[in-house]
Amino acid sequence: MSKKANKKPRIGTERMTLLDYIIFAVLLVLALMILIPFWNVIMISFATQKEYADNPFLMFPKQWTLDSYKALFADGTILSGYKNTIILLVIGLPLSLFLTTSMAYGLSRNKFPFKKIIFFLVLFTMIFNGGIVPLYLIMKSLHLTGTLWSVILAGSFSAFNMILMMNYFYTLPESLMESARLDGAGEWRILFSVVLPLATPIMATITLFYGVAYWNSWYDAMIFLRKADQLPLQNVLRNIIVTSTTNASNASSVDAAQASNFSMGMKMAAVFVTMVPIMCFFPMLQKHFAKGVLTGAIKT
Amino acid sequence: MKPAAEGPSKKLKGNVKGNSLWTEIWKHRMTYTLLIPGLVWLILFAYMPMGGLSLAFKDYKANLGIWGSPWSGFENFKYVFRDPTFIDAVWRTLYINILKLIIQFPFPIILALLLNELRMRKGKKLFQTVLTFPHFLSWIIVSGVVINVLAYDGLVNSALGLLGLPTINFLGSESNFVPMLLLTDIWKSSGWGAIIFLAAISGIDQDQYESAQIDGASRMQQMFKITLPNILPTITIMFILSVGGLMSSGFDQIFNLANAATKNVSEVLDVYIYRITFQSSTDFSFSTAVSLFRSLVNMALLLLADRFAKWLGGDGLFR
Repeated sequence: MSKKANKKPRIGTERMTLLDYIIFAVLLVLALMILIPFWNVIMISFATQKEYADNPFLMFPKQWTLDSYKALFADGTILSGYKNTIILLVIGLPLSLFLTTSMAYGLSRNKFPFKKIIFFLVLFTMIFNGGIVPLYLIMKSLHLTGTLWSVILAGSFSAFNMILMMNYFYTLPESLMESARLDGAGEWRILFSVVLPLATPIMATITLFYGVAYWNSWYDAMIFLRKADQLPLQNVLRNIIVTSTTNASNASSVDAAQASNFSMGMKMAAVFVTMVPIMCFFPMLQKHFAKGVLTGAIKT
Repeated sequence: MKPAAEGPSKKLKGNVKGNSLWTEIWKHRMTYTLLIPGLVWLILFAYMPMGGLSLAFKDYKANLGIWGSPWSGFENFKYVFRDPTFIDAVWRTLYINILKLIIQFPFPIILALLLNELRMRKGKKLFQTVLTFPHFLSWIIVSGVVINVLAYDGLVNSALGLLGLPTINFLGSESNFVPMLLLTDIWKSSGWGAIIFLAAISGIDQDQYESAQIDGASRMQQMFKITLPNILPTITIMFILSVGGLMSSGFDQIFNLANAATKNVSEVLDVYIYRITFQSSTDFSFSTAVSLFRSLVNMALLLLADRFAKWLGGDGLFR
């Protein structure tokens, strides 16, 4: 990227003009509109209830405390939520990647009978689906409701991700696979030892997409799961922030007095704890997805 | 059957006799094994539920299951269109989504243009990271942040107080609910939306800019005369896709931002479907009829928008 910019000095070498400063200022304001709310949330989770009550416009607490976190973890539901979400990821992510990659590679191969029909079958699921009731009944008849498998299987394949991946595979030179084939490698072998090592950007992108989808999934869990201790993190978080806003008695096992004392701090601690992994992984994977989406996106 | 019939297959030597389709299939047997896992998933969790939509034309009996329940024709649809809360939900959904389509749609484009014109490489990356970040959070997390920031005694209101301005009840008022939906959605998703347009911009031939500079075009002129026209096909595709979602979307956002005070204005079609399916009643046939209606309207809108784009001379989604 930087080499290209040196060759063609359209942007970057000229002096900053008034227009550049205006653009920078606008973007800075927009970025602050995103950063300040998150910063505020994090700071409230470390502040005492009194300080928050005095000044909700809290950018740096004078008195730091972990009381909100203590109360949150004493409640315990957040830990079981974490456990369930990690199970979803550990089983779901490899399964999703397997289903998506094998099919994307298969469909990116040269012509073979029924290829168009199969591709259309995938594409069609993007614009039309059976909706929640038939899916629920099918999960039920497969005896999957009430288990984490229902949440895993409902989200383990996305046509959008597959098409993104397929478009990336199309950009790889066919001669590579042809020579592997002449050496006697089968299609599966070619996928794992020739295609995948060349596909880091798209693999990182798709891993991020599925990972985030599993991390954020809650609707399927709300419908398919029955017991509170099976619920993934997002559902637990929802119970803490949304439900307790309207129904204060929902603070469950935590000492009622303490719950009301720390309700705001505790809620914000729960929000922070739920988004920390995304905050950590997102910037690492972000550099890949520009490239992955760029090569894969919207071209048919 | 068709693709094989139209393409005269390159026959393998020594395999002159026999059906050429079968030869072709046999030749590609390894490729088919690649497709099997995905196809099994599609059949089980995409196409069986589509078959399950037949429930809309049945009288569902739990003990008989989807396939065994007796047919009832259009009985369910008659009830659906007589339900005033359904009609309300449809209009509310259309109202909210059309507003979103008009007001929200330009933001990612403007953001992409701004990011593209920014002359600091490092700053560009940093801004991009910050602006796309909220997209990757669930609406549950975002609603937590929003509830904190916009609460009656929250950050924004205390800032307004410091400036001596009147405080606003952002989340607990019916009249503010729809503006809040727009605002929070713009806040959450514009940055990510901009990525697609940035990708399109990066594909523009640099020579066009160079010759425009030689002709003395200003940066503003280049933006309006080169960048925008070049990303118009992408804009069209994104617009078609948005039109195809006019009857749905927004469940996560609305379900998590709504509260007791906004109950009367927050029941969009998806929330209505959820309520009649899993909360107030469990008439599965009735709610399947509603979701079938929703899916069909969405699909019709998508195809219509696509036709319209082609009629205007654009690219469209399907060819």
